[in-house]
Amino acid sequence: MTTYAERTVTPAGTRSVAKANKGRLFVKWITSTDHKTIGYLYLMTSFAWFLVAGVLALFLRAELARPGMQFFSNEQYNQIFTMHGTIMLLMFATPLFVGFANVIMPLQIGAADVAFPRLNMLSYWLYLFGGAMAFGGFLSPGGAASFGWTAYAPLANSQYSPGIGGDLWVIGLAISGIGTILGGVNFITTIFTMRAPGMTMFRMSIFSWNVLLTSILVLLAFPPLAAAFLGLESDRIFGSHIFDPANGGAMLWQHLFWFFGHPEVYILALPFFGIATEILPVFSRKPIFGYKGLIAATIAISALSVSVWAHHMFASGQVLLPFFSFMTFLIGVPTGVKFFNWIGTMWRGSVSFETPMLWVMGFLITFLMGGLTGIILASPPLDFAVSASYFVVAHFHYVLFGTVVFAMFAGFYFWWPKMTGHMLNERLGKIHFWTLFFGFHLTFLVQHWLGIKGFPRRYADYLATDGFTNLNTISTIGSGLLALSMIPFFINVWISRNSPKVTVDDPWGYGASLEWATSCPPPRHNFTSMPRIRSERPAFDLHYPHIKTEGH
Amino acid sequence: MKAGYRLFIGLSLFYFLVDVIYWQVGGEALGITALLLSGGLALLIGYYLWFTNKRLGSSLAEDNPQGDIADAAGELGFYSPHSWWPLPVALSMCAAGLGLLIGWWLTLIAVGALIISIFGFVLEYEKPSTSAH
Repeated sequence: MTTYAERTVTPAGTRSVAKANKGRLFVKWITSTDHKTIGYLYLMTSFAWFLVAGVLALFLRAELARPGMQFFSNEQYNQIFTMHGTIMLLMFATPLFVGFANVIMPLQIGAADVAFPRLNMLSYWLYLFGGAMAFGGFLSPGGAASFGWTAYAPLANSQYSPGIGGDLWVIGLAISGIGTILGGVNFITTIFTMRAPGMTMFRMSIFSWNVLLTSILVLLAFPPLAAAFLGLESDRIFGSHIFDPANGGAMLWQHLFWFFGHPEVYILALPFFGIATEILPVFSRKPIFGYKGLIAATIAISALSVSVWAHHMFASGQVLLPFFSFMTFLIGVPTGVKFFNWIGTMWRGSVSFETPMLWVMGFLITFLMGGLTGIILASPPLDFAVSASYFVVAHFHYVLFGTVVFAMFAGFYFWWPKMTGHMLNERLGKIHFWTLFFGFHLTFLVQHWLGIKGFPRRYADYLATDGFTNLNTISTIGSGLLALSMIPFFINVWISRNSPKVTVDDPWGYGASLEWATSCPPPRHNFTSMPRIRSERPAFDLHYPHIKTEGH
Repeated sequence: MKAGYRLFIGLSLFYFLVDVIYWQVGGEALGITALLLSGGLALLIGYYLWFTNKRLGSSLAEDNPQGDIADAAGELGFYSPHSWWPLPVALSMCAAGLGLLIGWWLTLIAVGALIISIFGFVLEYEKPSTSAH
C-alpha cells in the first residue's frame, strides 16, 4: 500500500497553470483531505462570516446612533442582533479555532495529517451548510430567528416566535454543532496518536496543548447544546412540552444552554491564548516563562469552566449564588497565572514590535480589561445592578473581541508566510492595528458607562431625555472606524500576492515549534525531513544548536 | 499516553468532586446530572487511554524522551489523497434536517441518501484483502 500519493511539493510557479485549470482547482479543493487546505477553507469561511456579522453590527450601531427608529422595525432589529451574536460565536469564532488548529497543530506535533482526514472534510461541509441554513432564515417570509442567540424558553417556542426562520436557525446550528464535535474528536485523536517520535506531551507547543483542552471542552459542551436544540425543535414542530414553562422548562433551557455556553467561552478563548503564547517568545527572544505552569493553568481553566455556568443566570434568582460566584472568582486565578507567564516571557527579553507582537499587545490590554469587568460581574450584588445592560455587552466584547479578533490577526500576520509563502506588509499591518485598536475601544469603552447609566441590551430605541444619546453616538462613530480598519488589511492581503517568496523555513528568525522547521508553505504531508526533538523548542534547537534548551 | 489518561481521569475525578460539593450545598437536579455525566464521559476516555497505555504504552516512540525520528520509520499509515464522499454525506444530512420543515417525503429520501453515502464513505477504501496489498 503506497501511503504518500501526493507527496511532491507544488513549485511556486504553478499559479498560471492553476488559473488555466480553474475547474480542476475547484474539484481539488472540494475533495481535499489535506488538513492545511481544509484549514484554509475554515479560515476563509469563518472570516467571511466575521465580515457578514460585522456588517450586521454596523446596522445595529446605525440604528442606535440617535434616538428614534431610523432604519429598521423592532422585529428586524431583533433579527439582526440575534444573527450577529449567532454568527460571531458559532459561525465565526468556533470554526476559526478549528481552522487554526487544522493548519497549525499537525505541523507543530510533527504529524503528516490529522487522524481522520475525510472526517475533517465532513466537519467542514456540516459547518458550511449548517451555517448557511441558519443564515438562510433571512430569505424566509418571516425573516431570520429573532429570539436572541440564547433562544430562551418560552420566547423561542412556536407560539412566541413563529416562522420558519427560527426552525432553520435551530436545525442549522445543530448540524453545524455536529461538525464541531467531529472536529474535536479528530484533534484529540491526532494529538494522542500522531505525535512525532520524541514529541512527548510535555514538549508540545502551548498552542497544541490548548487545542487539546479546547477539544475536550467541545466534547463536554456541544452534546448538551445539541440535546437542547433537538428538544427545542421537537417543541416547535411536534408540539412537545420539553421547555414548557409550566413544567419548569424555562429554567431547564437556561441550565442546558449555559452548561454549553460557558465552556463555549473558553472554547473561544483557549486556542487564541495559545496563539498569543506562540508569538510572545518569538518576539521576546526568550523561551516561554513557566511552560508547565501555563499548561497547568490551562487545565485548571478547562476543568473549572464546566462548573461556573449558572453565573449567567444570577438574575433569575433560582441558582446557588455563593457556589457559582466562588467558582467564578476561582477561575480568575489560573487566568491570572497566564498573564503572569506572558509578562514573565517578555520580562528582560529582547522585545521587538513586529505586527504579530503588536496584535498580541492589543490582545493583552483588551482581554485584561474584559477580565477585570468579569470579576465585577462575578459578584452577584454587582451583577444584579448591571445584568442585561450595556455593561455586560461591553464586558463580553472586551473578552471575546480581545481574544478572538486580536489573536486572530496576530495569528494571520504571524503564520501568513507559513500558509501562503508571502509576508504581509508591516506598515499596512501597523495602520490596520492602530485603526482597529482605537475603533474598538471607542466603540466599546463608552458602553460600560451606558450600561451603568441603565441602557439595557437588545433595545432598538431610547428616548432623547434618557441621556444615552452622546455615548451612543460616540460608540457608533467608533464602530465606523472599526469597520474602516479592515481596508488596510484587504489591501495588505491583495498586495502580498506579489511580495517576494519566503525562501527560508523561519522568516521571523526565532521560531520555536516544529512548523518553523519545514518550508513555507509546507509540502503535502508537511515535512521532507524532521529535526530531532529534545525540548519544547525543536525548530529553535535546529537553527541555534549552540544554545541548549534541553531539560528546561 | 500516560499524560493523556492522567489528564482525563484527573478531569473525571474533579468533576465528581465538584458534583458532590454542588449536591451537598444544594444544587439543582440538572447541574448534578450534567456534572455526573461529564465526569463519566471523562472517565470513559480516561479508562480507554489507560487500558491502551497498559497494552502498548512502553513501545510508543512519541512518549520516549530520547525518541529519534527514525524510530517511526516505515509505513505511517494510509492517508486518503482526496475524497468525494464527505460532500454527499453532509448534503444528505442537511436535506434530512430541512425535510423536518418542508415535508416528510424529503426526510425519507434524504435518510436513504445518507445511508448510501455513509456506506460509500466507510467502504471507500475497503477492497478484497487479496488485491489491496
